[in-house]
Amino acid sequence: MKKLLSAPALFAVAGVLLIVGVVLAFWYSPVDASSMGFSQKILYYHAPIAAAALVAYGVAFVAAIAYLRTQDLKWDRLGFVSVRIGLVFSVLVMITGMIWGKAAWGTWWAWEPRLTTFLLACFLYAAYWVLRSVVDEEQRRATYAAVFAVIAFIDVPITFFATRFLPEGLHPVVVGPGGGGMEGSMAVSFGICMIGMLVLMAAMIVRDLEIELIKDRVTDLKTSLGG
Amino acid sequence: MSGWAQFKAIVRKDLIRELRTRDMLVSMILFVLLAMIIFHYAFTVKEGADLTYFTGGMLWVTFIFAMLLGLNRSFAQEKDEHCLDGLLLCPVDRVTIFLAKTAGNLVFLLIIQAVAVPVFALFFIERNFLGDLLPFLVVLLLADLGICSLGTLLATISMNTRSRDLLLPILLLPLLVPVLIAATGATTLIFAEGAGFGSLVARMLFLLGFDAVFFVAAWGTYDFAIGE
Repeated sequence: MKKLLSAPALFAVAGVLLIVGVVLAFWYSPVDASSMGFSQKILYYHAPIAAAALVAYGVAFVAAIAYLRTQDLKWDRLGFVSVRIGLVFSVLVMITGMIWGKAAWGTWWAWEPRLTTFLLACFLYAAYWVLRSVVDEEQRRATYAAVFAVIAFIDVPITFFATRFLPEGLHPVVVGPGGGGMEGSMAVSFGICMIGMLVLMAAMIVRDLEIELIKDRVTDLKTSLGG
Repeated sequence: MSGWAQFKAIVRKDLIRELRTRDMLVSMILFVLLAMIIFHYAFTVKEGADLTYFTGGMLWVTFIFAMLLGLNRSFAQEKDEHCLDGLLLCPVDRVTIFLAKTAGNLVFLLIIQAVAVPVFALFFIERNFLGDLLPFLVVLLLADLGICSLGTLLATISMNTRSRDLLLPILLLPLLVPVLIAATGATTLIFAEGAGFGSLVARMLFLLGFDAVFFVAAWGTYDFAIGE
């Protein structure tokens, strides 16, 4: 079981799923009937990336609460590794979103609720990194980071709701998968891509956690050797 | 000493300290007035340009930046004079400290707004909006509560870090975007179109929800933020 959950195994599973997913998306799922046409194919990666980013932030939120309750630094490690991965995925959401926006709406950037929310999430979690970098003491850094991770995670959905108050004319019609609106063959490819992307995210978190553990061990060894 | 008495004592201490020197209030008020003048020149693109639809934005951007100044200043004093250490040594619940600091900051913000809003109205608003004052005051108070509770929590964290006042805007501004969106929209609707409670109720409820959620979150985490 442990072997199955190791980073290389997870990477392999994610790789297979993502390749199968994209092959199915192009050759099995039909071209979207709406005006988006072929450009809709990016949905198969764009939405799973967004889901992976949100799940990573969710993991950071749970880890932050666990840290505040136990003061165990392993939760802090999980928290900042998850935020790091979440940030990578958020940037990817925006890049894929912008490509799609250019194809579907003819513009690289629109102040559209989802895009705006991810942009702000990027700033929030970038602030999390800045906060970590300006506190020297380990325990205090972990505590502050955990407090901020809790607040930031609550803020993301609230920001999404707030963008609904912006004047309507500013953003084009929101495109997105209406769960019921997806045709069966599309849903299969989409589901495979979604699972693949989530496994990829888990693999990255597991790998980064291992790296952080090794780093800590090296630091401990250096200290015990007197240098 | 009961919790309420402690709360009052801390708020009183903050107010007396500020009223003795008036450092913070004077600079915040000057900042707000200067910001309005700068906004006027920044936005007047042609003779007689109508700035009515910028009013909400101008007002809230000014208030949020003034609050950043004030928060940094109030906590820098606490830290430099070791006032907070003394406070932490007293048998006072951390939650009481949070409530009192939030209340103190809210009072300062309200004082600034009491000076700034009439001047702002004089400079930028041509229509008579006295009839719409009540909805505006509700929006003002709701937005202030959110800004002050989150501001107090994050200022407590940022003053204990290496970069202190540099860090606060980076932490606070992205979190305050929802407040800014709702409060700016509501204020503009009031000043530009004379919107009443009916058309503002969604934004007001949103602000109330924001306040409730973050007040509870800040309350729950303040113990960790203020440290030992």
